[in-house]
Amino acid sequence: MDIRAHVSMVFHLDKCIGCHTCSVACKNIWTDRKGTEYMWWNNVETKPGTGYPTQWEDQEKYKGGWEREEDGKIHLRLHDRAKGLSNIFYNPALPTIDDYYEPWTYDYENLFNAPEGDDQPTARAVSMITGKPMDNIEAGPNWDDDLGGSPVYAANDVNLDKLTEEEREQLAEIERVVFFYLPRICNHCLNPGCVAACPAGAIYKRGEDGIVLISQEKCRAWRMCISGCPYKKTYFNWSSGKSEKCILCFPRLESGQPPACFHSCVGRIRYLGVLLYDADMIEKSASVSDEELVAAQREMIMDPFDPEIIAAAKKNKISDAMIAAAQNSPVYKFVKKWQIALPLHAEFRTLPMLYYVPPMLPILAKTKDGTYDIEGLNQEGLPAMLSSLEKARMPIKYMASLFSAGNVKEVEAVYRKLIAVRIFKRAQKVKDYQQAEVTEALTQGQTNPDEVEAIFRLTSLPTYEERFVVPPLGRESAVEAWENPLERKTEAGFGVRNKIAKRKF
Amino acid sequence: MKVNGRRNSKNVFLGSMLTLLLAFLATAAPVAFAQPPAQASDGEALFKEKGCNACHTIGGGDLVGPDLQGVTERQDQAWLKQWILAPDQVLASGDPIAAELLKKYNNVPMPNLSLTPDQVDSLLAYLGGGATTGGAGAELPAGDATSGKAYFVGDKRFKNGGTQCMSCHSVAGIGALGGGNLGPDLTTSGFVQSSAAFASFMSAPSTQTMGAVWANTPLTPQEQADLYAFLSKASVQKREPSALLQIALLAIVGAAALIALANFYWGKRLRGVRKPMVERALAMKAKK
Ligand code: SF4
Ligand code: SF4
Repeated sequence: MDIRAHVSMVFHLDKCIGCHTCSVACKNIWTDRKGTEYMWWNNVETKPGTGYPTQWEDQEKYKGGWEREEDGKIHLRLHDRAKGLSNIFYNPALPTIDDYYEPWTYDYENLFNAPEGDDQPTARAVSMITGKPMDNIEAGPNWDDDLGGSPVYAANDVNLDKLTEEEREQLAEIERVVFFYLPRICNHCLNPGCVAACPAGAIYKRGEDGIVLISQEKCRAWRMCISGCPYKKTYFNWSSGKSEKCILCFPRLESGQPPACFHSCVGRIRYLGVLLYDADMIEKSASVSDEELVAAQREMIMDPFDPEIIAAAKKNKISDAMIAAAQNSPVYKFVKKWQIALPLHAEFRTLPMLYYVPPMLPILAKTKDGTYDIEGLNQEGLPAMLSSLEKARMPIKYMASLFSAGNVKEVEAVYRKLIAVRIFKRAQKVKDYQQAEVTEALTQGQTNPDEVEAIFRLTSLPTYEERFVVPPLGRESAVEAWENPLERKTEAGFGVRNKIAKRKF
Repeated sequence: MKVNGRRNSKNVFLGSMLTLLLAFLATAAPVAFAQPPAQASDGEALFKEKGCNACHTIGGGDLVGPDLQGVTERQDQAWLKQWILAPDQVLASGDPIAAELLKKYNNVPMPNLSLTPDQVDSLLAYLGGGATTGGAGAELPAGDATSGKAYFVGDKRFKNGGTQCMSCHSVAGIGALGGGNLGPDLTTSGFVQSSAAFASFMSAPSTQTMGAVWANTPLTPQEQADLYAFLSKASVQKREPSALLQIALLAIVGAAALIALANFYWGKRLRGVRKPMVERALAMKAKK
């Protein structure tokens, strides 16, 4: 047993309103520099949709993540040692800038400085790559937002490949308006493809909190991480010649604040907390069959109240404050205790440490003779919540493709519990569901009134402190493992020790 | 304390200026005050030491460069002095006499020997003193062109370990790819005129690069003879126009082969996802 701490995340998709505040908060802090124009360390996608970069989920094309052999061993999909070496000067699996998008800005000055004329002055779009005006903007990082251009974009969602023709039809009913949002940041994986692919050894996972970072000093621009990450969450900065990625706002975390995207989230969908996990189980958990992946990953997460675990954690020099944070962690509750948060695309086998509570789905409805017809109402004329799962317009298989490596049972169990919470609270507040229905819902959801109440509270009424349990990261003591910080103090002072060498263009 | 500190630094400054001045005077003094008259005997020593005799005789006929007998009468004294001092600068300035000489002597330029004005004066005293050096060195023995080629391309090693000519020089007759181009192309440079001139130059090359390369690994007379035999062959002294075509062809075929190989190896590379996807979707819509 090798217990370690990990600062982990939960996104509650039912609450995301798709406002992109998170993306903008991140952009303003980290990626408004030269060379980072096209990067969105945090981006919000509409599902069904092709995402950013286009069809990033299609690993046949992008070659990200790990692949499982017949014998149960996993290997990097991108390359083995020999292939890595023969491709080192030319990586054939890189997305083009067009697959992200050509970044642009607007000529705002013209609005103020245009000579007087008959027409309103306009701010033309200007490419941030060529500096020339762009008359025809063809794509953006959220081009298919709210199903924009869905015959092209939503229709090409990779996850739809697993659906039958009939299920696809079902999705497209009622003006094709069924969709939800999927905000994405780096998952700070336990078995990261980006780290494994880097020939320079520039990417590392911080021991004390699991944050995955790219050393700007060691990066040598091979760009293998960009292919190796199945979530396409490392980006190449053309100006500095280094790759960059989400840093989970570690400077903010180290000063006790949640990351900017978490802090600014309008829907308050984001939760941050510590998980204790057993690092000895990483390889095994990443190598089980697709169906078992979600369960195996959950298995790695340890009970922070178990004295044995606490002892093992202390042996690994995990601080008491960190253990206390793990006990308070909202992430632990969602992921392990209640088991209603799932990893995104577990089949990439990087063991992502960002978990999603799947969104409740609109139920099947059809327009018949010009009227809106909802199937299966109960006696009171209310939609039958209990059977809503079977009638969900977003096929459960689609959700399984996103959140449980295709294992429908896992997603179903989550939904049964979420539905139980709804029915229970509705019966309590609005009092229009019968007790029998409530009991049935609780049984199906394998839950009880106490748990339901707790889920409800943390979902709907959490305080700031409940959403973000930021532990004291103790970077200063972690650093002592390999260098003496006081040595710097007497030499050059704290701060940047070496100037980061930049490539000049 | 503060005032003291300032005064101290002022003293240090003055002191160092004085030292500098003294040092300057010390080095400048001999030049300024004691100039011995130019000596012809110094000139004679210099003529050998600097390797002038590799290219020039006095009264022994032309080698690589002209016979210097009577040169002090033929040419203006000031011009001569400037020429020996910095022939490269004189040439670069477009001087007509220099240009004509260069042409006459097969475009082999007179190297800059980095002489001081005093040394030039001694040399001129020597040259104007009526001394002679006798004829050129003996003619080389009969050489073998095949063995010369082997030496040139490095198939055969030089006895004293010198590097093969090919690493710096190209010449016709050693294949389309030729040799290096650090040194002049020996087909067009007109370096090879008579075996005596070749031998005198190769025994003590006067150019900077050649001098450095061959100073410690001299060629034996037989090696010189073989090389001369090879280099003076008619086929080596003239480059066929087809050779140029050959190299162009090689370059084109080589590039094409590399591109084909790369395309084969990286045939399945990612060529963009969004554009083809959108085009496919629009084409399907148009079909409907
Ligand atoms: S999601 Fe983050 S940690 Fe995981 S492979 Fe991608 S870049 Fe690496
Ligand atoms: S800020 Fe929050 S609610 Fe808005 S898009 Fe981002 S995750 Fe969703």
